[in-house]
Formats: sequence, C-alpha cells, structure tokens
Amino acid sequence: MDKILRDKKAICIFVAPALAMFVLVLVIPVIQMLYYSLCDYAALTPPSFVGLANYKKLFFKDSTFRIALKNSIFFMIFSAVTQQVIGLLLAVMLTNIPKGRNLFKNIYYLPCVLSSAALGLLWAFLFNPKIGINNLLAKFGIEGPLWLMESKGFIVLPMWVIAFVALWQYVGQNMMLYMAQITGISRDVYEASYIDGASKVKAFRYITLPLIKPMVITSLSLNCIGSLKFFDLVYNMTQGGPNHRTEVLATELYAEGFNYFKYGYASAISVVLLVMCLVVTLLVKKVIKVETYES
Amino acid sequence: MSKTVVKSNKNNIKPITMVIYIFLIILAVIYLAPLLWMLSVSLKDNAGVMAAPFALPEVFHFENYVQAWTLGKLGQALINSVLVCGVTLIVSMFFGAMAAFAIARMRWKFSEAMHTFFLIGMMVPVHCILIPLFVRFAKLGLTNSRFGLMIPYITFSLPMTIFLLTGFFKSMPGELFEAAAIDGCGIYGCFFRIALPLCRTGFFVSGLMTFIGNWNELLLAMVFISDPMKKTLPVTLTYFVGPYATNYVQMFAAIIIAIAPTVIVYCMFSNQIVEGLTTGAVKG
Repeated sequence: MDKILRDKKAICIFVAPALAMFVLVLVIPVIQMLYYSLCDYAALTPPSFVGLANYKKLFFKDSTFRIALKNSIFFMIFSAVTQQVIGLLLAVMLTNIPKGRNLFKNIYYLPCVLSSAALGLLWAFLFNPKIGINNLLAKFGIEGPLWLMESKGFIVLPMWVIAFVALWQYVGQNMMLYMAQITGISRDVYEASYIDGASKVKAFRYITLPLIKPMVITSLSLNCIGSLKFFDLVYNMTQGGPNHRTEVLATELYAEGFNYFKYGYASAISVVLLVMCLVVTLLVKKVIKVETYES
Repeated sequence: MSKTVVKSNKNNIKPITMVIYIFLIILAVIYLAPLLWMLSVSLKDNAGVMAAPFALPEVFHFENYVQAWTLGKLGQALINSVLVCGVTLIVSMFFGAMAAFAIARMRWKFSEAMHTFFLIGMMVPVHCILIPLFVRFAKLGLTNSRFGLMIPYITFSLPMTIFLLTGFFKSMPGELFEAAAIDGCGIYGCFFRIALPLCRTGFFVSGLMTFIGNWNELLLAMVFISDPMKKTLPVTLTYFVGPYATNYVQMFAAIIIAIAPTVIVYCMFSNQIVEGLTTGAVKG
C-alpha cells in the first residue's frame, strides 16, 4: 500500500495539469504584471522600464485614482460593517423562529446566485431620476434626489446607492455562513446557561459570539476581498460616472487598461489592488484572535 | 424571566417572535418585489412603463421577449455561456480532483506546501492577471475565442475545487484504499474506481460554486470576447446599457431571460444549493 502511495510518477501525473495551469495562467502573469507596473507600456509599443513613475503619478497626480481608492475603501468598510452586522442579526433571528426558517433563508439568499450584471441593470432602472423609486415618492409629493447622478459630497450619493444594492445582494452570504456556525453550536451549552440563570442576551454575548469567531474571520475576509474586487454593479449602474465620481479600483483599472490601453499604468493599479487584498486578509487574521474552546 | 420564556415557548407565540416575523416578512418583500416588478415591466410597452411604472400590465406584450431574444442575440449568448461554463466545470473538476487526490491521499514531501500554494491562489484577484494574460492571448490568437476564455476560468476555479475536494478525500477511510490495493488495484484504479465515485457530494458542492461563479462572471468575459457571436450572457446584457438604454421593456425581458435558468434551478434545488454553497464557504 505504502509503495503505491509513494509512486512518484503517479504523483507527478496527478498534480501536473493543475500545477501547469496555475503557473502559466496565474503565477507568471502576476510576475509580469509586477514588471509591467514599472514600465511605460501602451498597447502598440513594447514596454520600457521607467521605475516607479507609474506609482508616483498614481498617488500624486491622478485625482481619478484618488477617488477610486477612496470609494473602494469606503465600499469595503461600509460592506464589512453592514453585511456582518445585518447578516449576523438575520442569522440569529432565523435560528430562533419556530417555522419558515428555510423559506426566508432561501429568499434572502436568492440574489447571491443571480448575475450582478443583471441585478445592476434592474437597480439602475429603479433609481432612474424619473421612473422608478422617484415615481413612487412623487405620489407622496416628495421630490426624490437624482440617485445615480448626484456628484456632491465626500462620498457621493451614487456610491451609497451602489453600496446599498451590494448589501441587498450579498448579505445572504454572510447570513448563511453565520447560520451554519450557530446551528453547529450544541443546544446543551445554551440549556446549561439558562439553568445557571443567563438571559437570551447574555447567552448571545457569552456563548454565541465567542463560538462564531472563526466564522467572523472567514466571512469578514471574503467580504473585504469581495468588495475590493467589486466591478459588476458599478459598471452596470453608473459606469464610473458622473464625471468619475463613482469610480472604484476595478472600474478604474478596466478603463485605463482597456479604454485607454495604458497597460503599464493599469498594472500599477492592479498591484495596489493585490497589495490591499493581501494586507486586509492578514489584518483580519491578526486582529481577530481565535481561542479554541473544545476539540 | 427564564421561567416565563420556557412556559410561553410551549403555549403561544411570544410577542418578540411576532416582531421578528413581521420584520422578516417586510424584508422578504424587499427581496422579492424588485424581481416581480421586473417581470411586470417586461410584459408592458415602453409608453406604459413611462406612464405608470408600478401598475400591472394591461395587455401582455410577449413580443418583448422575442425582440430581446433576437436583437440581443440571447440564444447564441445562452449557448456560449453553457458551453464555456460546462467545459470549465468538467475540466476544473477533473484536474482539481487529480491534484486534490495526490495532496490528500498520497505520501510525498511537498504535499502540504502544494496545498498552501493553491490556497494562496484564492486570494489573488482576477484583475491582476487581466493585462498580462490579455497581451499573451492576443499574441497567441486566443482572444475572442471561447476556448481562450475557458483557460482563466478553469485556473481560477481550481483553488476552491482543490481545497474542497482535498477535505473530502481526507475524510475517506484509509481502509477502503488498502483493501483495494490488496485486491490488486493500482493507484489509478484507486482514484477512478474508489475516490471519484465516493466523492459525489464534494463534486456537487464545488461544481455548484464553480458553475455559478463563472456563469455570472463579467469582467474577464468582457475583456476577452468582443465578437457578438461569442459573448456570454452577462456581457450581452451590458449591450442593453448603451444603444438600447431607452428601450426598457426589452432590456427587462433580456434580464428575465438571462436570470431565468438560475432562478428555475434555484427554486428546484434551493435547499441543496444553499446547503452546498455554505458547506463550500464554511470549509473555505
């Protein structure tokens, strides 16, 4: 048996296809991207090395990039806070009701499996200046704002709208993760705490919260990386407009790379994106410490 | 306090439970209303939408669907999506299972390192490879080809697949493989005849995540495909943002057509899908 499992040739055959694809399509392109980010590289001319010029331009001269960075960070923080809190709240509610748990769960989770390109179009229409929600508001004599075209403020109104739609679409994901973790906690622990005189609130604070900590890490890092990478909804709701005020890192990267063909510059943006993803993941792991309570 | 809680649990519904139910029902309406409203709009005509967007259609304009289908080339897009996602699914499952089997079951020095290496791949956003891969593919003539699109899809499906399947293979009892080996089964026999058939749940879970993810993927498909005959469904929809932006009813008919397959499958298997996707994410 041991001999079979140590068969070097078989191991190579098993791992080779996946490893080859991984190296060719992921590792080498990432290294190339790092190199391109140090180059002046437009579509038709070969890349020429310019050092950190792209980064200097990004951080000191490009106001659109600053907006994109600001929006992405806002979007990440907003999504992380609201989706975690509401997701956890829903999970607690759903695990505590006697009937209909599956029905509600399935309804809230539905948008997660739908195409955000399609849902983006739907919500863009609902937030249309004349037709959707504003039409309803007008019936009550309220003049609604230009939801997706307002361009005043530190974080413009369209960004809040997009963040709300993202919350609507993806909060089910967090809810599901927390529900899975909460239903995994033994009933005995709660029964014991009630016998000792703990209230439901106290049981939540001292039993549920500590025991779902590992899930907080998973859910929060998925959440943060997901919102940093965010592209579909923004592209289909505002396309970065009005006047680049709703640009996020991913749409900015797409525009620089594939509308203006500035490959080197766009690569620098993707380096920023990659670094942010890695830093956020590590931060989440560092900040939330998990103590193991049982084996 | 705790006494009353126990008592009321048995007899009647507590007020707090009522409040929770009311809240959950309102929320369910917020989730379903936009989708149902979209269905209603897709059956009206443009003038009707402008006049009273929230009224139900008086006459059902099913021709919107026909127009959206032909104008947006949705039939072709559907075929493309099925083709690209289907092939991606099969290949990534197979390659992923092979690598996961070697990592989980076989004995070699670097199996842990290999596992970590694939896991790190999960953190890399697809945006990072966009430009280098596009440049390379343009040279190889792989842009504007459905085959070219499958390559990054497969690669980015691999980490999750390998991660999930490794877990499933590890949980299989070792005696199974030992018994097979005594009966003269080689390593490939162990893989094809024992590991693969026993891993159905694993395939279901990882296949679901892979398929849904790729089915909805927009960015890569947008960058790599520009020929309208080769576009996938999500990209075809962005078509309605531009030149057809004022033709709302058709846009909505197109959206309905695009999300209908997912909604139908979801309604049929919602419990398994939600469970499956959660298992996937929990392990991830």
